[in-house]
Amino acid sequence: MASRYDRAITVFSPDGHLFQVEYAQEAVKKGSTAVGIRGANIVVLGVEKKSVAKLQDERTVRKICALDDHVCMAFAALTIFIGLAADARVVINRARVECQSHKLTVEDPVTVEYITRFIATLKQKYTQSNGRRPFGISALIVGFDDDGIPRLYQTDPSGTYHAWKANAIGRSAKTVREFLEKNYTEDAIASDNEAIKLAIKALLEVVQSGGKNIELAVIRRHQALEMFSAKEVELHITEIEKEKEKAEKKKSKKSV
Amino acid sequence: MAATFFGEVVKAPCRAGSEDEEEEDEGRRETSEDREVRQQLARKREVRLLRRQTKTSLEVSLLEKYPCSKFIIAIGNNAVAFLSSFVMNSGVWEEVGCAKLWNEWCRTTDTIHLSSTEAFCVFYHLKSNPSVFGSCPRKNMQITILTCRHVTDYKTSESTGSLPSPFLKALKTQNFKDPVCCPLLEQPNIVHDLPAAVLSYCQVWKIPAILYLCYTDVMKLDLITVEAFKPILSTRSLKGLVKNIPQSTEILKKLMTTNEIQSNIYT
Repeated sequence: MASRYDRAITVFSPDGHLFQVEYAQEAVKKGSTAVGIRGANIVVLGVEKKSVAKLQDERTVRKICALDDHVCMAFAALTIFIGLAADARVVINRARVECQSHKLTVEDPVTVEYITRFIATLKQKYTQSNGRRPFGISALIVGFDDDGIPRLYQTDPSGTYHAWKANAIGRSAKTVREFLEKNYTEDAIASDNEAIKLAIKALLEVVQSGGKNIELAVIRRHQALEMFSAKEVELHITEIEKEKEKAEKKKSKKSV
Repeated sequence: MAATFFGEVVKAPCRAGSEDEEEEDEGRRETSEDREVRQQLARKREVRLLRRQTKTSLEVSLLEKYPCSKFIIAIGNNAVAFLSSFVMNSGVWEEVGCAKLWNEWCRTTDTIHLSSTEAFCVFYHLKSNPSVFGSCPRKNMQITILTCRHVTDYKTSESTGSLPSPFLKALKTQNFKDPVCCPLLEQPNIVHDLPAAVLSYCQVWKIPAILYLCYTDVMKLDLITVEAFKPILSTRSLKGLVKNIPQSTEILKKLMTTNEIQSNIYT
């Protein structure tokens, strides 16, 4: 049945599916894994960085992008789009233009929810147009508003958006989300460091080659956004491994 | 022929018979040239079994030369990675032969000079315990098949988002009496291609066989998909063949890194 109703975006199937939108969600699963965590005073975005081809300039392969960065640092928004890279580039550009346009018109920076709604509305338009396909991307958008509250939103190809405490998108996102459901506790996000470690631990569940393949960025309240270098990520990973060893030693002592 | 609303051209079903009936008589007269071409194609499509070192063909059927009690076949890159890192690194496996074949879908046109790396199937037997490819006649043979399929092929009333992918399903022949480590494949799902052919053959010839099918959403080589095969390690089919699990995980990780290809389309 699917094959007769999945050629055009504007056609519902008899049982109410928009197959092109669902297939777009499959395209997102082909991208790398990304995780977003909302801490008490920090928001963290981490993504799996696949290995770069030998002759490729690594600097141009960045996945986490800033949408806007207000001058007095009261507002900053980071985003990561997973799925078709070209679609991501187009949507990020539109979002960045919208941020600036809003600032010029209303003299206030956008809120994280506003820009998320803008991106989601844009995606929804493409699910209702003849001759155009949906964007094959999901996004995690994190940031702080003027009121100092941290926010994390997720959008998907159908144009829906929701606020999350922690979420993952991309390949094996389900596994990461289950890990987060088990390990996201008030203690785990109490300090900035702990939130960062939680994000790295979640990614390590599915990232196959360790620290050098993780890209991480954080925004702390009233501070500029910070992209972690490979060394800083490694430092956190060694800390995590030490903690693991300690916990295992304790376990073996108890069992003895 | 009819055109649908979206511009696809669809052949309209006709119960009065095929429209080309008049032209069929002319086409049936085949020339000797046609016959020759057809024979050549048949020769090209022959499956050839070759002995490893000498690359000469095995005159005798592989199973008669190396009769075995356990035959394990892995189809697809994730299943092969599982087998090569968990089973084949414990004990010494010797390559006994390979199978080469060609059909119109293959990209190479020259069949005679296919290098050994392009063999489609390589046969190994356990050196230390030849009974695995052992001395028992075909009657006591048990076959295990491992393969993967994309989760969107799995037909269920739940939405694919809620499925715990990757997950394992099994399908066995009537003569297979051992306990199964995962749920059986439910209707209306069916098995396709080579695994289906092997299982059908086993059912017809009353050979106990079991197929382990892993539904995953990542079809390329992936750590989580390969680890989904782990419950099989405790079954009777693979018992005794796997010794060193942590080492296997390391080997698997290495396989992953060597196989990583950066695709620039998906970020």
